[in-house]
Amino acid sequence: MNRSAPRSIDQYLRQLREQLAGADAALIQDALYDSEEYLRAEVAAHPEKSESDVLELIASTYGAPDEVAGAYLDTEVKVKAAMATPRKVPKSKLGAFFGVFLDPRAYTSLFFMLLCLATGIIYFVFAVAGLAMSAGFAVLIIGVPFFLLFVAIGRVVSLAEGRLIEAMTGVRMPRRPVYQGNGSGFWARIGEMLRDRRTWTTIAYFILMLPIGILYFVIALVGLSVSLAFIALPIAVLFSQAGWFGMSGVEVFSNVQPAWLLDSGLAIPILGLAGALLLTSLMHLARGIGRLHALFAKTMLVARVSTGAAETEVSGEALAAR
Amino acid sequence: MDDTNDRKFQKELNGGLVGLVLLAVLAESSEDLYGYEIAKRLANANDGTSIFKEGTIYPVLRALSAGSLLTSRIVPSYSGPPRRYYRITEQGRSMLAEWKLIWRGTRDFVDRFIETEALNTGHSP
Repeated sequence: MNRSAPRSIDQYLRQLREQLAGADAALIQDALYDSEEYLRAEVAAHPEKSESDVLELIASTYGAPDEVAGAYLDTEVKVKAAMATPRKVPKSKLGAFFGVFLDPRAYTSLFFMLLCLATGIIYFVFAVAGLAMSAGFAVLIIGVPFFLLFVAIGRVVSLAEGRLIEAMTGVRMPRRPVYQGNGSGFWARIGEMLRDRRTWTTIAYFILMLPIGILYFVIALVGLSVSLAFIALPIAVLFSQAGWFGMSGVEVFSNVQPAWLLDSGLAIPILGLAGALLLTSLMHLARGIGRLHALFAKTMLVARVSTGAAETEVSGEALAAR
Repeated sequence: MDDTNDRKFQKELNGGLVGLVLLAVLAESSEDLYGYEIAKRLANANDGTSIFKEGTIYPVLRALSAGSLLTSRIVPSYSGPPRRYYRITEQGRSMLAEWKLIWRGTRDFVDRFIETEALNTGHSP
């Protein structure tokens, strides 16, 4: 508890990060952002005091790193419990299989899969155009600023993508951007940005989103149309037999094997049932893909805690050197 | 030992109160406020020391915002990362009115016992 109280903002943030170790990466990013906002404002509000003098009193006003970490972890658990509507989990295996239709995440994930084609195209164009234009401008004086602008916009877009993924799949993503810190100089910050693994994985994510988006879109569209068509078939046949509309001229089956299946009239109900099973499987698949994609996005778009700690280390040294 | 027990009791009391106080501060303010400003207002209202650690208000602000009781916007700042300014929503105001009633009821209920005790032992409350 009382081991070396932090004497600088960087030390404080590092201790806070240690206290939150093992927590969700997105939660850590938010907590560090909030604390940095407060600490920088507090230091700026007392220009007559040194940073270490201000930090000395922080534990009694803002709270020590372990207290603040505790507050974030507690609130996260409480909010999650309060926001999640209790869902009845069906006991039987059959209930669990068809229970996916009661899960809103399955619908939003399916919608997300369809949406991925559109966002994938936008991200791909953004990333490829940004990289190509940066390469083209490299010989001109605007090359470097253009590339930096591209990376900065990419961070904002990655935050927006995170918000979208959280809304669609329910997996926690950052609500605050990563703050680079203004302790070190302009060039040092640019260097850090280029050395940051996340800068490059974010660009890779944008480019990969096009093939991934196409794949998701095709799975969702084919799955939906085939299963819905199968489900609709018995209903359509029933209506046509009732004489509500004619299906003459519409050839449903031309060469079903074995032939007795078609003659017995069982084929159409069986297809309808298969459609229902297919649709349910698709919902399961969508929910699974949603979760997997959120994990993928988290590794690509959110900084790992270990690399983050190394960054703080670097900027701390840069501060000491100045 | 006493001190840690006091702190623990205070922390448990604060559980729901932080949200109530934050809503009240934002409802009274004519302008949008950011986390640091709110923390300082709370501290100034209580002779410079807030009854809860200022670090605990940020996660609660985010929780209230997620429950759409508050809206927020981001404004760049010279001293640090961009600041998130909060404003209370209509939903937040009606929630605050309900919470106020609950708080008054709770306070009166608790006072009834504590003040009786004080009268019985001969101390004025």
